[in-house]
This record gives sequence, structure tokens and C-alpha cells, in this order.
Amino acid sequence: MIEARGITRTYASHGAFTGARTVQALRGVDFTLPAGGAVSFIGESGCGKTTLGKILTGLETFDGGELVVDGVELSRLKPRRRAEYFRRIQMIHQDPYSALNPTRPIEATLGAPLRMRARQTGADPAKWRERASELLTLVGLEPEAVLPKYPHQLSGGQRQRVVIARALTVDPQVLIADEAVSMIDVSMRLGILGLLRDLRSRLGISLVFITHDVATARYVGEGGELHVIYRGEVVERGLTDDVILTPVHPYTQCLLSAVPIMRGLEEPGPDRTAPTRALDERSPTPGCLFEPRCPFATEECFTTHPTLVPLDAGPASAARTGEAGAGTDTAANTDAETDTGAGTAEHQHACLHPQARRVVGVEIEVGAAST
Amino acid sequence: MAATAALSTRLRNRRPALNAFRKAVTRKPGRLIGLGIILFFVLLAICGPWFYGSLAVDPNAIYAAPSADHWLGTDFAGSDVFQEVVVGARYVLSTAALAALFTSVLGITVGLLAGYHRGFLDSALMRVTDFVLTIPGLPLLIILSTVWSFGSPWQMGLVLGLTGWGGVARAVRSQALTLRERGFLEAARGLGLPSRHIIVKELLPNIAPYVAMHLLLSVIAFIGAEVGLFFLGLVPFSSTNWGVMLNQAVFSGGAMNSPDALVYLLSPLVCILLLTLGIVLFLDAIDELFNPRLRERA
Amino acid sequence: MTEVQVRDLTIEYQTSAGWLPAVAGASLDLRAGEITGLVGESGSGKSTLALALLNAVPEPGRVAAGSVEVAGVGDVLSLSGKQLRKVRGGELGYVFQASQNSMNPLKTIGKQLLDLGRSHEVKDLRALIARAKDLANRMGMDGDRVLDSYQHQLSGGMRQRIGIVFALVLNAKVLILDEPTTALDMLSQAAVLDIVRTVHDENQLSTLIITHDIGAISEIADRLAVMYGGRIVEDGPLLDVLRRPTHPYTRALIGATARITGDVDAARALPGRPPDLTTVARVGCVFRDRCPFAVTACADTEPPLVVGEAGRRRACHVEPSTVLSGTPGTPAAVGGQP
Repeated sequence: MIEARGITRTYASHGAFTGARTVQALRGVDFTLPAGGAVSFIGESGCGKTTLGKILTGLETFDGGELVVDGVELSRLKPRRRAEYFRRIQMIHQDPYSALNPTRPIEATLGAPLRMRARQTGADPAKWRERASELLTLVGLEPEAVLPKYPHQLSGGQRQRVVIARALTVDPQVLIADEAVSMIDVSMRLGILGLLRDLRSRLGISLVFITHDVATARYVGEGGELHVIYRGEVVERGLTDDVILTPVHPYTQCLLSAVPIMRGLEEPGPDRTAPTRALDERSPTPGCLFEPRCPFATEECFTTHPTLVPLDAGPASAARTGEAGAGTDTAANTDAETDTGAGTAEHQHACLHPQARRVVGVEIEVGAAST
Repeated sequence: MAATAALSTRLRNRRPALNAFRKAVTRKPGRLIGLGIILFFVLLAICGPWFYGSLAVDPNAIYAAPSADHWLGTDFAGSDVFQEVVVGARYVLSTAALAALFTSVLGITVGLLAGYHRGFLDSALMRVTDFVLTIPGLPLLIILSTVWSFGSPWQMGLVLGLTGWGGVARAVRSQALTLRERGFLEAARGLGLPSRHIIVKELLPNIAPYVAMHLLLSVIAFIGAEVGLFFLGLVPFSSTNWGVMLNQAVFSGGAMNSPDALVYLLSPLVCILLLTLGIVLFLDAIDELFNPRLRERA
Repeated sequence: MTEVQVRDLTIEYQTSAGWLPAVAGASLDLRAGEITGLVGESGSGKSTLALALLNAVPEPGRVAAGSVEVAGVGDVLSLSGKQLRKVRGGELGYVFQASQNSMNPLKTIGKQLLDLGRSHEVKDLRALIARAKDLANRMGMDGDRVLDSYQHQLSGGMRQRIGIVFALVLNAKVLILDEPTTALDMLSQAAVLDIVRTVHDENQLSTLIITHDIGAISEIADRLAVMYGGRIVEDGPLLDVLRRPTHPYTRALIGATARITGDVDAARALPGRPPDLTTVARVGCVFRDRCPFAVTACADTEPPLVVGEAGRRRACHVEPSTVLSGTPGTPAAVGGQP
């Protein structure tokens, strides 16, 4: 469905006096999203997650790599032809409060894209209202109650459902959910996540789930792959449950350790860890990007840049740099292309000293705990 | 009883915009007064000249005091001041309205296109805007008055409007630039909706209150500008209007030092002040007219 | 020792339908050395309650009844003018919901700190700065650098920490944080929570954290109070409440939290939507529309908040054991129970 190979994006910020500075938002991201599959990207703010989402929906350009949608490489197409492919990939925005036009009622928000889509497919544009009702029902809202309302008359959760319905108006095959639940009450989050999961199983829509909250990534469905992204680079990836239970990259371990423990129901993992300091983009990192903050960094980490390798390859055979790494990468990709997404994704990491640590909370038997 | 209630709900549902307007205006008495004043002057401008096609001149009564025959007295030639005020309203108001129309159409179009498309179009349009902003309006009018007589409100309105849209364009552009990054506009682009739809249906309603406010305030400014020009005598007197009246009251009638022409001086002045007051009072309702959220608090 | 005593607090807002209660008869104690987590969905009245602790309920709201006794100050609700300003920021440190954006973008953090000191008539401004630096250092920031920075030079997590520095620099004994981690990513959230716990312990504060995220709060709080529709519906020691939630709402809230462990399919979203001022039930239990345990009594009698064993209180007509076990046709129990 979507295949991304080595996507890079560099922003140049040129101050009048400070001289040019470049920020690498993405440093060669590749992933494969099969039809009906799910890929999650997790990382802290400023790691390039949002840029990736915008590139995938065509709202942002990329300056290196290839983006293949349904077998067609997009950067070779003219913008007009490209639009049809980006139509298949729709974004669900982070902030349901700014994602809906405050001056237009929901019927107008859904009606415009529905009529446009009807003209494209040769359907009857006048039937948009039925289709809108259908979509609102699908996302769990009551059409008659919601259609005439303005966004401010809806709760955060309801708005996010409308946003999802709007994305569905143009019959997408992929939804990009960029922090789709982070601004919604915790009590409403599972409902939205369940809906996304439903859309996968019922409509076969694939999902790119971008978040900083690892826990939510578990709820988007079976066979989901998790990519941990740090400063524009994927540092670990594999099946969501594999990565959560046996993380080997220290950054993944830090992220997972940061998930709050529900004391009383869970106890902290024995190897819980945290970054040694805050993110500072200016510190030089010729080797591993995470080295300055890594609690387990060695001399070697400062000088050698690790690339993604399969977990069972072991530390000794981990690609040190350059050609070897690139070779492994492509091999991994071709592997991934051939499988259909369920359950066989290889666990890979970019760490010179990978070691599995148990960092997530451990569930306590409630019966035992209360005695 | 139930039937009327049902009927009124049906009417309300059919005309949501009208209903919103009624609600917003009747919320505060000030707004209603403002709207009343504006409507009064608009009616005056439309109908006034029908009543007084030709001004009655009474040479025997020059600078007459207000009386039953002449409600606001007469001027230096014996013309009825009330009739002059009524007839003059058309020129003043239509000029201001035309000028406001030109500024807003040009300003909004240029601002929206530049702000939404950015890039080359933005740079090009903004250079044009900068150029317009640097045209000195007053000297231009003085020079043009040697060619045109400004007898028709179209000419005056066109010149005022063409030199005045730069500010609106800049303001609309900056609003469009900030809104452009909002989620709902990104979503509209992502859905592949045509630019025209995005600009007109998504972007414009969000800056409408801003534009409408600007428009009403510019009407006040344009009235001031045109009346000022006539008052200073910088453009030929080719029609009866409030500016000409002011000029003649001061420079021919000596209203500054003789009480005879005082009413002649005050009548157009009070009209301008009243109209300004009306617009300012009505401005208060603009935000609610366009913002469904504020509308609701009713 | 009880530092803050909220008693029968009722706060009303003026709406087109008259004065409606946002907080109704809430009573809550903040004890010295304890972190209390106040959890609720948006519109539950939790932020309004917190603002009332400062006697800062915004227009068109008013305190209709009740008192907020702060140790050494008296009833904050009876203070006004200069006295009130002294207590705010003095005894009571408050970190606002959007404290990331509540700083003046045109002044350095240090200058704003001096403004705070002057408005509270601090004699020794040097000592104030020194204390702020000390606090900042202990929170893992470079005190000198931070005080010389403008807000745009700081990350979200750092701004949140500076909010806490500001709240504590005048030696507040009570620290109130409104949604301290909402806009932060996981790593910053963990760091901020850790800092709150450390600062709280070091200064023996009474801390109140207001949040909608029961997961985040459970990491550091000692007590948990759950609010719904303007009422406190359950409270008690955190561990006990999480293990044995005896109010259907608490139970549903725990079950609706996305967690990193446990069975994904066992989690259930809360049905329905949280009520607001105008839709909250006027008669009977406020939660009954969304409650799987509701009985007939819930429709016409509002359950009072009753003190139970082990320092717990609950407001529910249904027997605690029924809620704990989960009746047929209700979501499976949280935490792996059958």
C-alpha cells in the first residue's frame, strides 16, 4: 500500500545574523504498510513524527528517498497526478479543536468533500446527505443530532469522530493518525482507538499511528508494527508487543520507562531507566544520535553510527557504518514487502550494545495484592 | 399556539442567517440604535432626492432662521438647508459605499490570494500592495480634480477605493497566513478540495468579521476624506453635498463669526457625527454575526 | 495535619438557564506531606474547585456556599484585595493549566521573578533569586541559564518546571497543579512528575494535582479524589482506591485507561459523554445515565458522600461489594479479575 524508502527532510533556518543552520527532521525513514496493516511511530516531541505524517499526506515535501503508493513512485509524478494518490492517504489531526472549521456546521464540513468525491466517482452528488449519515453512524455518532451542529457544540471526543468521518469522505485506504487522542480526555481515548481498530478490520483501512504515548499504540490492532523514532531516525522496530516487552535500544527503554505505573495494579519494571539529560539538538553526535543522553553509552557510541540490524544478528555482527548497514536495510525491506503484515515483522534495532531490559510495569494479581 | 410555535421554528430553520442577524442586533439596545441610524441615512440617500428634485430657492430669505417653512433655515442663496442635507446625503453615502466596496473587493482578493498561495504570487502581489500603499491619496485627488469634476460618486469612490485597499490587503494576508496552518485548512488541502472552495468557503468566513469591521470603519474614514476635500475646496463643487455645505458655511457664510450661518454649518456636521455614531454602535454586533460560538450565548 | 480544609463548597455559574452549580457541596482535605490527585473528565468541575482554593473563581461564577480554611490564614473565601493577593503565591502556590504559555514572552524569566517578588513586597530580592536558582538546579535545570532565558527559548517541560519554581519560590506550603502534564510528551511528563514528587517531599508540602489522566496521577499521588458532575464521588488512599474502586465511575475510569500492561480487549471506553453545567442531572445521582449498576433509587435520590473504612468516602447507592465484583452484563473487572 505505502512503501517509504529512505525518506529524508532537512529544514534550513537562515537567520539574518546567526548564519544558516540546518535541522534534519527525518534522516532516512523506511517502512512498509500493507493494506489493512498498522504501523505506529513513537518518539518524543521534535523527533520528526509530525513531519513524517505531513509528508505522507502530501502536505509537506521530502528531499530524499522514495515514497511509493500502490506501486507508483510519487516524486516522479506531476503534482496534478500525485493528488489522486494522496487522496488515498488521509490525516486525522492531533487537535480536534482546530481541525474543524468553527464557522461551518458539520453538514457543510462533510458535504463539500462528499460532493467532490461523488463527482470524481460519477456518483450522484445530491446523495451526499445519505452518505454523511452513513459515515457518522460508522464513527459512532447520531447523524440527525450532529449534522446541523457547529464544532463548538460538540465534545472533544465527538469532534475527533467527526474528523475521522471527514477523512473517510474521500474513500481513503490509509489513515494517518497524528497524536489522534492526546488532546482528548483519557476516558474518551479508548473509544477513538477502538474506532480506528474497527475501521481497520471492517473497511480494511491501513493505519499509520503517530504518538508519544506507547500505551495507546497497543490498542490500534493486531499485527501492528512499532517504529521508535529518535531525531528523525528509526532506532528500533518490530511487532508492537515484541518491542514493548523486550526493548533493546536504550531510547526505547527510556520511552517505555516513562509510561506511568498504575500503582496498586502494576509495579515498576526492574530495569526502569531514564535519559541522563534533556534533548539538545546542538550537541555534536558523530556516532549514535542518542549517545549524549544514553545511560549506557560507551566510547564507541560516540564515534560509530549504528544502523538498523536484526535483533538475532547479535552485537558482534551489528553493522558498524556505511555500506554494510545500507545493505542490511534493503534486505530487511524486501523481506517486509513480501509478507502481508500479520505477525512476521522482524525485530530490528540500531544500537551497538543491544540488551533487552524489562522496563514496563508488571501487572500485580489484585487478589494477591489486597491481602 | 402550538401551530405558531411550529411555524416560527420552521421559519427559523429556513433562515438561519437572518435569524442570527436578528438575534445579534437585538441583544443590546446600542446595536439596534446603531442599525436604526444607519438605515435612516441609507433611506435618506436613496429617497431624499425624490422628494426634492429641484431645490427650492427663496432669494428673499437668505440665512433665515429655522421656521415652519424652512426647518433648518436657509443658506446664503436662500436655499432650504434641510433639503440640501437630504439631497446631499446621496452623494456622500454612495461615494463612501463605493470606495468601501472597491477597497474590500480588491483588498480581500489580493490578501487572500497572497496569504493562501504564498510563494511567487505572494511576493508579486505584496510588491503591488506596497506600491499602492505609497501612493499619496490627497495629492493624487488634487491633481485628478484638474481633469475630473468628481460630479459623480463613481469617480470619487473609484479614486478613494483604488488608493485605499493596500491596508486591507496586508491585514487580510496576515490573517490568512496564520489560519493557513490551522488543522481544518490542512485537512481541506489534504482532502484535495479545490483552492477556490478552500479560499471562499473555509478561509473567508473566518476572516469575515475582521473584514466587515474594517469595511465599516473605512466607510467613516471615506466620509471624512471626501467631505474634507470639498470643505477645503480642493475639488470643484459639482454637486450638492455635505462637504460643499460646510465649505460655504465657513468661507462664504462666515459661520465662525456670525450666528446667522451656524445652523447651516451644524446641520451637515451633526449628520456626519450621527452616522459615525451609528456605525460605531453597530460594530459591536459584527463579531457575533459571524462567530457561531458567540451567537449562541444569546 | 490538615493544611487545607474545603467544606461544603458550592460554586455556581450564571447561564441562560439561571445559576447552575459547577461544584456542589464538595468537601476535601489536603494534608501536609500528602499528594492528592483530583481526577475527573472535562467539565467535572475540578479546575473550578482548584481555582476556588485561591478564591479566584472567574466571572460569571460565584461561590454560593462553603469555606476553604487554610492553616495559618483562615477562610480564603473571606479574604479580598491585598490580603488575598498575599496568600496567592505566598501560602498557596498555583501552577496554571497552560503554564507553558502563561509567561510574558517579552521578559526574561528572571525579570518576571523579580516582578513577582516586588508585588509580594519581598525585602531581599537577592535571596529570592538565589532560592529560585536553587529550585531550578534541583529540578535538573541550569538555574543561571534559565533565569536569563525568554520563554520561547525553553521547551514545554522546562516551562512547566519553571511554573513550579514560581509557585514555590515564596515558600508556599500548598502547591496546586492544574493539568501539569497534559501538553507534554511521555519523557517530559515522567520528568515533571518525578520533580513534583521530589519537591513535595523535600518541602513537606500539601500538593493537589488536578488531572483527567488517572494513569499519570497514580504514579505519584498518595490520595485520590474522583470528581464527576461537580461532586466528589469517591476518595481515599490511592493504592486502596485503585485496587478496590467502589464507585462505578472510578471503576469505569480505571478500566478506560490505555495501559502498557494487561489485556487490551479487557479495556472499555466509558460510554456516553461527560455532562456539563446544563446537562448534569439536577435530581438523583449525577452518574446514573452512564452507570451500569444504576438502581431505581439513583433516579430520585442523590447519594450522599459517606465516610467508610480506611479513610475512604463514596457517594453511591449500590453496595461496594456489588461494584467490586461487577454485576452480569457489565464490563469485566479491571486488573485481571474474572
